[in-house]
Amino acid sequence: MTRLDSALRATRHQKQWFADLRAEVAAGAPLALVNADAPQEIFRAMGIPYVVNQWWASIITAKRLGEDHLRRLRAHGYPDDSEQYNALPLGDVLEPDPTSAPWGGLPRPTIVLAETTGDASRKVFDIWGEQPGTTFYALESAAENAVPERWWELMPHRWEEAIGSDRLDLLVGELEGLIRFLETTTGRVFSETRFREVMDLVNEQEEWNRRTRDLIAAARPCPLEVTDGIPSVMVPQWHRGTRWGVEAAKAFHDEVAARVAAGTGVGVDERARLMFIGRGLWFDLDFYRRFQESHGAVFVWSMYLAIAADGYLRYGDDPLRALAARFACFSDQLYTPPWSVEWYVKEARHHGIDGVVHLVSDDPRGGFFTTRGLEAAGFPVLELRADNVDARTADPDALDRRVAEWLDDVVLPRAAARR
Amino acid sequence: MGALDELTALAADRTAAAREWAAAGRPVAGYVGADVPVEVLTAAGFLPVRLTGDPDAPSDPGDRYLGRGLDPVARSVLTRLLDGAYGRLDALVVSHDCEASLRLFYAVRELHRTDPGIGLPPAHLVDVLHLPHRTTTRYVLAKIRQLRAQVERWSGAAVTDDALATAVATHDRVRALLGRVAALRRSRPARLTGTQALAVVAATTALPPDRAAELLEALLAEADALPEHGGTRVFLTGSSHDHPAVYAALEGAGLLVVGEDHDWGDLLHHRRVDPPADPALLELALAERYQHNGPAAAAASIRQRAAHTAAAATACGAEALVSYVRVHDDAPRWDFPAQRATTGLPAVLVDHQPYGRVDLDALAGLRPRGAAA
Repeated sequence: MTRLDSALRATRHQKQWFADLRAEVAAGAPLALVNADAPQEIFRAMGIPYVVNQWWASIITAKRLGEDHLRRLRAHGYPDDSEQYNALPLGDVLEPDPTSAPWGGLPRPTIVLAETTGDASRKVFDIWGEQPGTTFYALESAAENAVPERWWELMPHRWEEAIGSDRLDLLVGELEGLIRFLETTTGRVFSETRFREVMDLVNEQEEWNRRTRDLIAAARPCPLEVTDGIPSVMVPQWHRGTRWGVEAAKAFHDEVAARVAAGTGVGVDERARLMFIGRGLWFDLDFYRRFQESHGAVFVWSMYLAIAADGYLRYGDDPLRALAARFACFSDQLYTPPWSVEWYVKEARHHGIDGVVHLVSDDPRGGFFTTRGLEAAGFPVLELRADNVDARTADPDALDRRVAEWLDDVVLPRAAARR
Repeated sequence: MGALDELTALAADRTAAAREWAAAGRPVAGYVGADVPVEVLTAAGFLPVRLTGDPDAPSDPGDRYLGRGLDPVARSVLTRLLDGAYGRLDALVVSHDCEASLRLFYAVRELHRTDPGIGLPPAHLVDVLHLPHRTTTRYVLAKIRQLRAQVERWSGAAVTDDALATAVATHDRVRALLGRVAALRRSRPARLTGTQALAVVAATTALPPDRAAELLEALLAEADALPEHGGTRVFLTGSSHDHPAVYAALEGAGLLVVGEDHDWGDLLHHRRVDPPADPALLELALAERYQHNGPAAAAASIRQRAAHTAAAATACGAEALVSYVRVHDDAPRWDFPAQRATTGLPAVLVDHQPYGRVDLDALAGLRPRGAAA
């Protein structure tokens, strides 16, 4: 099928943006390296260019340089089988190789911003912080006893009730410190009016994503391949808080809407609608297309558009507290039962899913409650065990065989019976 | 029976004191992680018992609910909770001392919701965090107050300021005594092995604190009569040890563990609350104690860990550094290069170890000639 223009435009934009960023940093601008779930809006408001660590890791992996970067970690005594997704970009710092670095290479950041999630991910950022000229600004990763019901309905406006004040007080305090730190070290100004504008733009962008998600959920057949959907939502996501981000999200929506109106699908007879739970399989993006031709099985859902639709909207009169509310519980939304479990079930129902492929990495998040919750709601689940950026953890042929057998034996008969 | 023998026996039978306590009609709280402010539980009349795993028992239920990508200690603790291996627990308090404990709490919370008949005690997460910033102190203070309110709901009575002050003083006394006991293994010759020291610390986490203090004082009183111990003096870093098997294996191979930086050992007691004179500041002093206690591998920066390990290894007169890292306990592996460089001692990383086991061949270079493997 024809690729979405919005996906092609996003990829083109990203290359030009990165070239411009390299030039800006070469001319003396500060550079931030930020974790995906960290409050990037502060940097946006202050005009400080930033790169998202996991996006850069996905570029390294897509260029098939992941194993080489892991080797560089190992050569310096660090593990090569821990926190691979977060750690890959460190390979360039520990052993720079300008000849192989994708897109000319990542300039040396002046600040690294990340939350201390898990036991080891903060260590990765500690190593960044040991590099000359780089400061690691750490944020706590707090947890709470209470669980809100149907968080996706509460979050846009009633986030204080959903998250709890203690976590918000903590992150607001940390962000106030971050602003002061950036003002002091970069000489740039934090303007509250500019920040409010950024927050408004982010909400506007995510509202478009919400409409797009709802269009795709209702459309039969599915109007796009998930591999087109991921860049169409995620590249603008890394540029949220800009007019370009809003326009890109709107263009993505309009293109999807046109396809839905025309009844355009992905070019196969859609016999089963699949959901993919887990991070993107960056080392094997063809995986998502492989079962379209052979089985008419189409991945209609990945978390990237869905979390953009439900996970980011935060309105309110206090923009810094609203920003804290966007990130104080971000990993709960995706990875903590029952927050995540109930959301996946809601999304599976919303999209008319026939089967769920659940990527379970060899990490602490586990997958039992997600799988059980979906199965209890009537959705067949296939658990695949692999790391999303480490090709060594998966035998592609074995993955394919398991999926094909599951589609033949479980999903297609069930989908046929339902239609 | 001497105090050392009694403490060692109580470390092995960790429910003995709890059975007595419960038989008198008093509540027992199991807890997970050294970040649980036990003073609050003691002040509310609970006996706090720190929960241990069992490396020799299957952990199938824990593996099922938590997945096999998590520290096996947490999987074992969940298995034992589901099996009722800890006896009657009136409450469960879990800290966020590491990702495995947090995931254990989430599993227990979810099982309460989805399987209410599964027989788990009511559970509470106490989210003590460790970044060295004022914002974190304010947050930990809120979490200590939240815990205090929760135990008041459990017990049906207020935790008075006087009771909290008494509990703080008692637990601080235990910490101070444990500090003096630790000196017995650092002396030359050592009067305690690492295995014995580990058992002494473990026993104090299953006893009423005043009883623990009595036994520690008795142990100190008999110290001169304790036998002398030798071996290659090693400082142990890496994973924590809630079970003596690895220590026993190391010392059986001719090493002497003279110190460690995990919280079933020296890290448990090296910082006290030392409450200020103003009783209104007691909760704040507790918050600061728990925030800044450590640095434990899962919660501290590489730099903090390396500095602490180097200073502690020097204070112990260690001749070598051993980093023992259990499978799926990822943080210590990132710490090791800096620890090795900072201590300047011969250093070995023993990685990916199964729970309760150690590959002694990896330590061959450190062992005295002729020592048994």
